[in-house]
Amino acid sequence: MRKTQLGEFEEIVLLIVATLGDNAYGVAINEAIELQTGRDLSISAIHATLHRLQAKGYVKSFMGGASAERGGRRKRFFLITPLGSRTLLAIRDLREQLWKQVPRGAIHPKTT
Amino acid sequence: MPPTWPGRILEWFCSSLLVEEMQGDLLELYEKWTRKYGMRRARLLYVLQALRFLRPYAFKRMSTKNHSTIMITSYFTFVFRRLQRNKMFSAINILGLVLGLACSLIIYLWVDSERSIDNFHSKGDQLYRVYTRRYFGDQVNAGYNSPALLPEALKNDFPEVEYASGFAKVLRLSQQGDTYESFSLGDKAYKMRGSRAGKDFFSMFSYPLLAGSTTSALADQNGIAISRKMAELFFGTVESAFGSSLQFSSESMSRDVKVTAVFEDLPASASDQVDYLANWDYWVEHDDFKKYWGHFGTYTYIQLKAGSDPALFEKKLVGYLDERLDIQKGSNVKVELGLQRFGDQYLYGNFESGRPTGGRIDYVNSMTVAAVVILIIACVNFMNLSAATSLKRAREVGVRKVAGASRVNLIVQFMGETFILATFAVGLALLTAYLALPAFNFLTEKQITLPWHELSFIGTVVATLTGVGLVAGSYPAVLLSTFKPVRALKGKVIFNARSVGFGKSMVVFQFALSILLIILTMVVGIQTKYIRTKDIGYNRDNVIYIRLEGALIKNYKAFKREAMRLPGVAYVDRSSQTPHTMGLTGPFVNWEGKHPDHAVNFIPTSVGYDYVKLLGLRIIEGRDYSDEFPADTTGFIVSESGIREMGLKNPLGATISVFEKKGPIIGIVNDYNGQSLHHSLMPIVLDFKEGMNFGTILVRTKPGQTEEGISSLRKAYSIYNPGYAFSYSFLDDAFQRMYRSEQVISKLSSIFGSLSIFISCLGLLGLAVYAAEQRTREMGIRKVLGATTAQIFVLFSAGFVKLILISILLAVPLAWLAANAWLQRFAYKIDLAWWIFALGGAVAILLALLTIGSTAIKTGARNPVDTLRTE
Repeated sequence: MRKTQLGEFEEIVLLIVATLGDNAYGVAINEAIELQTGRDLSISAIHATLHRLQAKGYVKSFMGGASAERGGRRKRFFLITPLGSRTLLAIRDLREQLWKQVPRGAIHPKTT
Repeated sequence: MPPTWPGRILEWFCSSLLVEEMQGDLLELYEKWTRKYGMRRARLLYVLQALRFLRPYAFKRMSTKNHSTIMITSYFTFVFRRLQRNKMFSAINILGLVLGLACSLIIYLWVDSERSIDNFHSKGDQLYRVYTRRYFGDQVNAGYNSPALLPEALKNDFPEVEYASGFAKVLRLSQQGDTYESFSLGDKAYKMRGSRAGKDFFSMFSYPLLAGSTTSALADQNGIAISRKMAELFFGTVESAFGSSLQFSSESMSRDVKVTAVFEDLPASASDQVDYLANWDYWVEHDDFKKYWGHFGTYTYIQLKAGSDPALFEKKLVGYLDERLDIQKGSNVKVELGLQRFGDQYLYGNFESGRPTGGRIDYVNSMTVAAVVILIIACVNFMNLSAATSLKRAREVGVRKVAGASRVNLIVQFMGETFILATFAVGLALLTAYLALPAFNFLTEKQITLPWHELSFIGTVVATLTGVGLVAGSYPAVLLSTFKPVRALKGKVIFNARSVGFGKSMVVFQFALSILLIILTMVVGIQTKYIRTKDIGYNRDNVIYIRLEGALIKNYKAFKREAMRLPGVAYVDRSSQTPHTMGLTGPFVNWEGKHPDHAVNFIPTSVGYDYVKLLGLRIIEGRDYSDEFPADTTGFIVSESGIREMGLKNPLGATISVFEKKGPIIGIVNDYNGQSLHHSLMPIVLDFKEGMNFGTILVRTKPGQTEEGISSLRKAYSIYNPGYAFSYSFLDDAFQRMYRSEQVISKLSSIFGSLSIFISCLGLLGLAVYAAEQRTREMGIRKVLGATTAQIFVLFSAGFVKLILISILLAVPLAWLAANAWLQRFAYKIDLAWWIFALGGAVAILLALLTIGSTAIKTGARNPVDTLRTE
């Protein structure tokens, strides 16, 4: 079992990227996270994380989608890579495996 | 619309690839924020969020910087790899450059130090020495000795003279060497070195005083100014020395003197080194000779008022002595005064035709030239060798060019490489110089250090570095970059004839210089040996001499009796001058029938009964002084050449007069050299005088018992001359010391000679390697046609031997001229035999063959199959 390759935030971002498919770019990802987790994050943090993920090889990017709203500037879209997918799956499997082993009632919102 | 300045900041700092998406997202969000929160809030958020994009991952890689770092590292890698591949070669190449640089550096420092001697005084431009010019008929002599009364008189009579001081280099004319006198305080008794000076001395010269003032330092007749060293020696501290007294024993008198000033130890760049200076007026008053205008025995220093014209003043000064000297009208004797800048004396201390000309400046100039030449040779060699090895890199050049390197790129690359090598070499050279300086200082008796703190030095180093790096690098760099890629890749690179010619003439020049140095070294060595072993007419082994002073003057007879009885002592006698440097010379002898214009210069010296026996002189006719004949005390013994020059028919018994003492010649002694062998033999007249209050006591010890003799002498001395420190010198040591400069030159020229030939061989090696490369195919073909390795070796070497022969042809005449010129300073010199020059040439050829030997053999031994394959 390897060390954690993804931070918690990075995992969330990666999942959102996978979810958004073709539309995974900065602002959209930011909105999605806000919607899903309630966290209001700065756009720069998102960008930094995305570039970090790219550096690790979990995502790849391409430019496109310029619009007048953006002053003619294009967006950078991110796509999850096979490596990224494998990593996410591995993490999920690990969590599930661990969850399975927890005896009934050990994790309960109302007991001690 | 959002403000534009945050966007500009992002553009400025962030990578251009990321800025677009950043700005785009920000704009999109701005719209949202405006709708949600209103314009003002939106603008604020915009600015904040924009600035937060300034994170490390986003910053621009200054792309040029990135390139350069990589490139520089790669240069280092290439340079080291290149070095490693031809380790031997590169090492030798760098060594040559390092040696050349270190050499030049040391010479530069030496020259600098020589030039700065006596030139550090703040009033330097106003300080002058007065010298005298004496005409005897049409002969003219000049020297620094002047009347002791002159300084004071000049100051009184000329308004231009602001300060004046005498300086007594020697206390009496027959003295050789520096003045040492005894001082004692309580049970401490030491002989210190020093002299006398006028009261303006410390106002004129920049010798800082630790105690006392410049006006009072030498004003007191019973006062004395001493150095820090002397103060601490006698009193422990400078403070306790000031104002205290100690006993000063000089020649025949002994008195108490008060310390009126303490000066900082004189720097090494002061040519007159003293530890004490005593009052001038007191000394002149009490001296038998100094108070007369006709006695020229001391130096005169003056300081002119700022703005005075020295040339004008000198004109006024010329005839100053006319009134004061008792010169008969109409006689052919004339005395003039001249002026020389104080700081010039050290380098321009020789007189010719009555004026100061050169002196040490000749050495300084030749060394400067040598340094420049060595530097040039080292650099040129470096260039040549680098170029020679660069042939092997032709292929690399081809590849680079094909890959798109421009000529400029290549030049920069190669120059960069050489620059790195040059920096490395300069660093090593500095280290070598630092390590070699102690030995050099020992040899030349100087104290030279690397002046790290001086800006000019660092500036010079950096300038040399850049210069050497650029110059040495430019040649191969430019050369390599011109290679046509195709030909380079194929290996068909040839230098044009011009550069080969240049290389060849460099080698010839270098070898010529080396041969010159080798020959000169041999000449100096042979001459020095000749001097050392030449018969000087007396036996100087096992002889020591001490000064006649103090109580010894009146106790001399008793001391001599006692000393001659001591074990280990053979003879004791007294003479007014020490045999090896009898400086007092002149036409002091008159004889019957002497023609008034016939002047014969004699060395007069007064002696005792045992002088002749002590020195092992031979009496040729007549006899030695003997106490069996009391009348002998009025007689003289004259050397052979003296008799001959006087032209006496019957010398024995003839009456002569020396210094107003008349008497018969009772004996003729063999000629002996009373001065260094730089001067030709002079006639000597021995005069019997006892009871003198000055002079040198000579002692010959029995061979093998010298130590014993000296220690028993020391005891006897302390009995007969208490309060004085017993200090003696060995006559043969003193004799050798007269040739100190020759010994130094001998060592230096042999060192430089070896260096030079080493560097020359390097140059030759470069040529040889290149030639080997060029002619591989030729040699291959020859081998195929049947030549043996030996034949190829000879063929290959012949070209180079020819070059060496040309060098020999160039060097020999120059060497002959130089050697002759140098030998002129000796009255006794060796013959320049032909074999000296032949040997020099032979050595050069031998070394050359050794150098190219391995290359030549390799060329000859190569398998033609390999050589002919390079296509």
